[in-house]
Amino acid sequence: MAQPRVTPKAQEAVDEDDQEEKAPDTKLYEELGELARFIDTTMKTLSEFSAPVNASTQQLPQAQSHLLNLKAQTEQGTHRVMLEVEAIQDNHAQISTMLKDMTQTLQQAKASPALVQQMATLGQMLGQDDKRLLDIMTALSFQDLVAQSVNKLVTILDEVEHKLLQLVVVFGPYQKQAAKPDQGKASEMLKQLEATKNTSMDQDLADEILKQFGFS
Amino acid sequence: MPADPNMKILVVDDMSTMRRIVKNILKQLGFNNLEEAENGQEALTKLKADTYGFVVSDWNMPVMMGIDMLRAIRADEKLKKIPVLMVTAEAQKENLMEAVQAGVSNYVVKPFTAETMQDKINKIFK
Repeated sequence: MAQPRVTPKAQEAVDEDDQEEKAPDTKLYEELGELARFIDTTMKTLSEFSAPVNASTQQLPQAQSHLLNLKAQTEQGTHRVMLEVEAIQDNHAQISTMLKDMTQTLQQAKASPALVQQMATLGQMLGQDDKRLLDIMTALSFQDLVAQSVNKLVTILDEVEHKLLQLVVVFGPYQKQAAKPDQGKASEMLKQLEATKNTSMDQDLADEILKQFGFS
Repeated sequence: MPADPNMKILVVDDMSTMRRIVKNILKQLGFNNLEEAENGQEALTKLKADTYGFVVSDWNMPVMMGIDMLRAIRADEKLKKIPVLMVTAEAQKENLMEAVQAGVSNYVVKPFTAETMQDKINKIFK
């Protein structure tokens, strides 16, 4: 049986239909290509930050060290002042006892009332100084508040360091156009970072990560 | 009942300087039987091992916080009646309410004066 004849016009219409079917695929493909190029450009731009991020990351342990040093030094200084205050308080306690004994002796010896009064005045002055010494002691509680603030700052720096190192690990292989083994290594290091998230960052781990990605 | 000057007092704080300050104040107030602990856990161990008449504690401490130690004290049959004074930088209303609900005897906010501490102790033991 002979095939029905297709007129040239009808053939043209069929060809146009075929092209319309292809157009969405082509369009989709082009859009995907643009998206891929956009992502690629963005990743390259982000990876350019890895050097400054690394510089900051390397300084963070120093900042933490300075803060902890500050806490230790203020604690030491505070204890030194307390030692002196306590020594003076002990001396005052002894002087106060001696004054009481001397006043009693003078009264028994029927000494001049003026002299007895002077002893009483000395006792009062000692008492006033004892109050001042106690005020000095309580004022030294500033060190505790400093220590609490330092602890909070150190915790914040630790979290920032974690996050910055994660960025270095994520973008390191991309910047160097790493092969799959390096990307596997990056993944392993991200796991290690995650494991130290809620504890203080191990300095050796931080140094190793930075070294792996070419930062000395 | 006024405070017994011979009662054993436990001072709990992770900062050595704060423990020294509180002990100094308590000595000036006439209390000489003083012991220390660095955190809530150590404090509970000492409280269970001996007889104490009073506890002065910080809030923020490693290992066991002061508020958790307070709850443990109030839950223990032997310890539950021991007066506890919180001395802390936590000055938020929520913290104060939490301490009251946990059974604190009184509350001093850092920084404090010796007079404030004496006043709070007098109120606990009046």
